[in-house]
Amino acid sequence: MSSYQTTNGTSPASKPGRYRRFDPNSKVLIGPLLITPIQILLLVLLVFPFMLEFFVSLTEWQPIYGDIWTALGQVFTEPIYQGINYNYLVTDEPRYLSALGRTLSISVLSLCLEFLIGLGMATIFLKSFYGKRIFFTALLTPMMIMPVVVGYTWYMLFQYNGPINQVIGWISGDAAGSGGVEWLNSATPAFFAVVVTEVWHWTPLFFLILLSGLNSIPANPLRAATVLGASNAKIFWTIMLPNMKGVIIIAFVIRGMEVIKLFDEVVLLTKGGPGTSTETISVYLYKLAFLDFRIAYAGAAAFIVLIITVVLINLMLKPIRYQLLEAR
Amino acid sequence: MSNIKLEIINLRKEYGDLVAVDDLSLSVEQGETMALLGPSGCGKSTTLNMIVGLEQPTSGDILIDGKSVINTPSGKRNVGLVFQDYAVFTNMTVEKNLAYGLRVRKEPKDKIASEVLRVADFMCLSDKIDRKPSELSASELQRVAIGRTLVTNPDILLLDEPLSNLEADDRNRMRRELRSIQAETGQTVIYVTHDQIEALSLAHRIAVMNFGHLMQYDTAENVYQHPQNKFVGSFLGNPPMNFVKGVLRKEGDRIFIQNGDSSLPVPTDIGSKIENNSGLIAGFRPETLTVTSNEEDFSFSAEVLAVEPQGPESVVTAKFGDTQVKVVVPSESESATDGNKLNLMPNFDLLALFDPDSGMRLMKHGG
Repeated sequence: MSSYQTTNGTSPASKPGRYRRFDPNSKVLIGPLLITPIQILLLVLLVFPFMLEFFVSLTEWQPIYGDIWTALGQVFTEPIYQGINYNYLVTDEPRYLSALGRTLSISVLSLCLEFLIGLGMATIFLKSFYGKRIFFTALLTPMMIMPVVVGYTWYMLFQYNGPINQVIGWISGDAAGSGGVEWLNSATPAFFAVVVTEVWHWTPLFFLILLSGLNSIPANPLRAATVLGASNAKIFWTIMLPNMKGVIIIAFVIRGMEVIKLFDEVVLLTKGGPGTSTETISVYLYKLAFLDFRIAYAGAAAFIVLIITVVLINLMLKPIRYQLLEAR
Repeated sequence: MSNIKLEIINLRKEYGDLVAVDDLSLSVEQGETMALLGPSGCGKSTTLNMIVGLEQPTSGDILIDGKSVINTPSGKRNVGLVFQDYAVFTNMTVEKNLAYGLRVRKEPKDKIASEVLRVADFMCLSDKIDRKPSELSASELQRVAIGRTLVTNPDILLLDEPLSNLEADDRNRMRRELRSIQAETGQTVIYVTHDQIEALSLAHRIAVMNFGHLMQYDTAENVYQHPQNKFVGSFLGNPPMNFVKGVLRKEGDRIFIQNGDSSLPVPTDIGSKIENNSGLIAGFRPETLTVTSNEEDFSFSAEVLAVEPQGPESVVTAKFGDTQVKVVVPSESESATDGNKLNLMPNFDLLALFDPDSGMRLMKHGG
């Protein structure tokens, strides 16, 4: 029947006999048994395509070249192909490098704004005020809306004859249709239009994470500081923020991983334009892979992004790494 | 009087319909240790929070050194509060914790450094000054919390359940330490506790509270020996005070309290002041009863129901009339066996008579 070996010699189920019976209590077996199926699934769905993609990214293969396996063979037979894409991307492709740089600046700017606004809102929500529940629901709504819808909404808002220019017109006194900003058709305003959309969309997540972080700070140390004579601002800087370190980092990591992939809103707002002035790395990769069909080349570009992301995220996690990995 | 440190006048705190503290008045003298004692939810912590300024009273006044502090913000009252869970700042070292109060007051750096060293030395934390709170034991955390408030040299040191989070061993040691801290610093100290032993052993005076009311405020000895109402008698002492409900009868020169078939004699000097046939409750502590071998004038008999040995003493539960009384007897006492009749002699100096409706003592101690 079964040849399972158990190490639990004292178990009544493993008495010597013709067959060793399966001991359901054996810890040696149960762990590997439970995780094996998902490991296999992971191998098939993630590790294999990942490796394949890596090897493809070393070649110049495109779908019109036909069979991918032949191309893969070239990696080993024709050393000239090895790393050609990578070499080209980092030395001779300013569009890629500027997309990379642009994505990073959009990310840093948006995350900082989201953090500051989210923290401000969360601090306000520590006190009770009239209509708090309604505001809470309303403030969380943006992040529940699909990115495509958010993108299109802001596309409408940022039109030259749209509401935003209208409001600016009221304030500056210009008549409607004159003196407005070409939000989506000039490089710098388009960049900020993307940032505004991203910040509007995802500040609620920062707000939510930071609010739960603020609420989980034990009350007594704050009260102790009050009794010792600390002002509210002092308490905020010396006790609340240091206690929020882990939560803040986690919020940045979660949002950081997402914002680097910023795609939908940009496509809806500007399609990366005007020119390539709002082209994020995802938009660039999309055009490369699915409009130009330069699969291998896009693969290499994506790999560099992956490496940058992994390094950045790990650097961000470094201050709380010890805390996270500590055994209970 | 000039040596009154803290005075609380008609203090009242309402939370919506709930009255947490009702008409509380008491005063604490300089250098005195006072315990606010009561079951949980009695309003003692609310009182504490109002003294330090974390909560604003609905009405009434709080005076420190004769000056009202009701409108002074918490940080400016110069009171120190030690929390039950210590509330040590976990993101700072012991040194930073101790220095916090002086740093937020913007004291000069060299003064902060010397004060921190002094207090760290006094609280036996000198060798742990660079540690983080996560590396400290519970009693060390407690010492950090106390030290952190002592650094600011508070007028009044308030401790909220200071010993209840400690192990039994640490608790005994900390109780001694607290007493010596108080003796050495001459601090005015207010404890909040639900533990009567803690209150009795640490405090000069005890304020017993229940349901927001002050039940009795007196010296530790008087609160224990001469409770002013049934609640105080039952809350303090383990086992608590015995209560025998009955009717006062006067037959000739014999005065006694009748409960069913049993009667509890009352000395004439106490009994003569009370009307015949009036209902009352007699209260006497289990350890004030002595077992006598023969029926004496003022003894009463009770049937032993159960004996619980507790080392050198045993707690005897005995049936008296339709109630049960507890008696503390020496463990070697042979008469304390189940079913036996015990002749018990109360100490009449410590016998208290309460009104059965209000639970208040009929005659004040000494009256």
